[in-house]
Amino acid sequence: MSGPCILLVEDEPDDAALIQRAISKLPQGQSLVLRHLWNGDEAVAYLAEAGPSGSARDSLPDLMLIDLKLPRRSGFEVIEWVRGRDGLRRLPIVVLTSSAQQVDIDGAYDAGANAYLVKPSSPRELAAMLETTLSFWLHFAARGAIRPS
Amino acid sequence: MKDEQTDAGTGGAVLPDRRLKEREEGLRLLVESVSDYAIFMLDPAGFIMSWNAGAERMKGWRAHEIIGQHFSRFYSAEDVAAGKPVMELRIATAEGRYEEEGWRFRKDGTQFFAHVSITAVRDAAGTLRGFGKVTRDITERMRTDMALRESEERFRLLVESVGDYAIYMLDPEGYVASWNTGAERLKGWRADEAIGQHVSLFHTPEGRAARKPQIELQIAREQGVFREEAERLRKDGSIFMADVTLTALFDEQRRLRGFAKVTRDMTERKRAEDAVRELNRDLELRVAARTAELSERNAELNAFAYSIAHDLRAPLRGIIGFADALAEDFADILPAEATGYLGRITAAAGRMNDLIEDLLAYSRLGQGEISPVRVDLEPLLRDILENMRTRLDERNAEVEIIRPLATPRAHYATLQQVVVNLIENAVKFVPPDRRPHVRIHTETHGGAWVRLWVEDNGIGIAPEHQTRIFNIFERLHGQGSYEGTGVGLAVVRRASERLGGKAGVESEPGSGSRFWVDLPAASERSE
Repeated sequence: MSGPCILLVEDEPDDAALIQRAISKLPQGQSLVLRHLWNGDEAVAYLAEAGPSGSARDSLPDLMLIDLKLPRRSGFEVIEWVRGRDGLRRLPIVVLTSSAQQVDIDGAYDAGANAYLVKPSSPRELAAMLETTLSFWLHFAARGAIRPS
Repeated sequence: MKDEQTDAGTGGAVLPDRRLKEREEGLRLLVESVSDYAIFMLDPAGFIMSWNAGAERMKGWRAHEIIGQHFSRFYSAEDVAAGKPVMELRIATAEGRYEEEGWRFRKDGTQFFAHVSITAVRDAAGTLRGFGKVTRDITERMRTDMALRESEERFRLLVESVGDYAIYMLDPEGYVASWNTGAERLKGWRADEAIGQHVSLFHTPEGRAARKPQIELQIAREQGVFREEAERLRKDGSIFMADVTLTALFDEQRRLRGFAKVTRDMTERKRAEDAVRELNRDLELRVAARTAELSERNAELNAFAYSIAHDLRAPLRGIIGFADALAEDFADILPAEATGYLGRITAAAGRMNDLIEDLLAYSRLGQGEISPVRVDLEPLLRDILENMRTRLDERNAEVEIIRPLATPRAHYATLQQVVVNLIENAVKFVPPDRRPHVRIHTETHGGAWVRLWVEDNGIGIAPEHQTRIFNIFERLHGQGSYEGTGVGLAVVRRASERLGGKAGVESEPGSGSRFWVDLPAASERSE
């Protein structure tokens, strides 16, 4: 049986590669399943299939790591779509973006994000950030104690 | 009642015999001593019988030279030929007195202008005994009178020729007594039409109904002058805006002799003023539009700077991330030289990252609204020093705060940025062998401003660089000596301005720098 599934929505190939590498090197990294999607439309399509009423129910992720500035459908729109969807309301959503602007932070939380992380330049910081955030949210997700929406 | 000494028939003086003798001697002495008037007697035929000091002085002849001569000696040949001397005596005989002003000759042939009076002298019986002649030299007075007349004439011509002002006289009742060219040009009436008319002719019907003409004459009479800017009427019925000055004219006895009235047509000036106002309004609108345009541009520029800085970070994360991945994942197969290069890549990228961070901080200062509130400096400094602990310890820096600290109005995070940059700056530019000492204190200026000082014991700044250092990317030192992005002090200045204040520095090379930031003072009561 495989471990928790993380859905990464990231359009920047370098960032995606670095994030994947950082996650794979986490202590719990080996047991995690990481799915990488390139834009908002793909994310919505994937989640529609994976949801309780979808045809791929067993691929429902345990956490979504999403960028905000995405082609076609933005991160905000994806988050809002997820929160309006039965069975996905409790999905932990962690925003990982390069923007530190207040308007983006407020917008992400308003849309229904659970955490907001600014992409650090330091690989060590990224690794530490992902380790603590993922373990926290996966732990709570496992207990079903997600922020009510 | 008749005077006993007066002969009513002739009007001449009568000298009664009984008094003549009594007074003759005294009178003779008196007359002879008068030197400003030539006083002498003629016999009934016009021969000179007496001569006084004044006559000698005025005409030049001595008594013995002229007594016995005929008085026509004093007249020009033409006058004598015309029978003038004889005629004068005839008039004096008939009317008792003859008076005239005219040119007379002196002994030396020169002329003078004389006032002459010839009085017939009769005895009690009415018999003509001769003539008393009094001559005054009035050449000086005549010259003065002529000069005055000429000057008056010139002045009259000047006033009449003035075309831009209506200048005219009113009599004491307010009737027009004189009229100049300007009056005709401004008001339309010719002199012959205006003179004799009442000043109310120039008033609007409303003004006349309100008795304005009478009121302004009264004010001028009582206060000396009346001034106003008001509407006046032209002959053609049109109305113009007039600047009117009415001055009362009094003689030496303070009797009102009339009024001088000066009227100026303000239409042109009014039009010019309107045009100026119009231009000003236009200019204001253009300035406002330009300002709006500029602030829009500025906002665009800020957004642009922000997005540039933001976009620069993505590739930088890649550089740093992959350099790190290389060093970490292939540590066992990479030669030392390659690891060294990777270290250099990471360090260079780190510097670039600092630069971008500072740029972002700088451009963020231009965005959004800042609403200043009371900011206590104690907790602010405590937070800052806490956050900077590591960096300060690295340099073994000492930060001294001189209390009490004044309280400014500011925005917490923005002021924090200002102070952090100033402290960083203070610690940075200290020679490596010297322990950095930072002094922080405040002053209040007139209760309205708080000046926050951040002083260091660093290398100081030459006067010619003291303005430049606040410009963005301005660095005075090469990358090797004092590290920095050249943004820190630009942030200080911009942030201070955003807080409604300003920043500056006092320094001399070698004796440290004293940076200051002026901020509005918080009011006494808490906010």
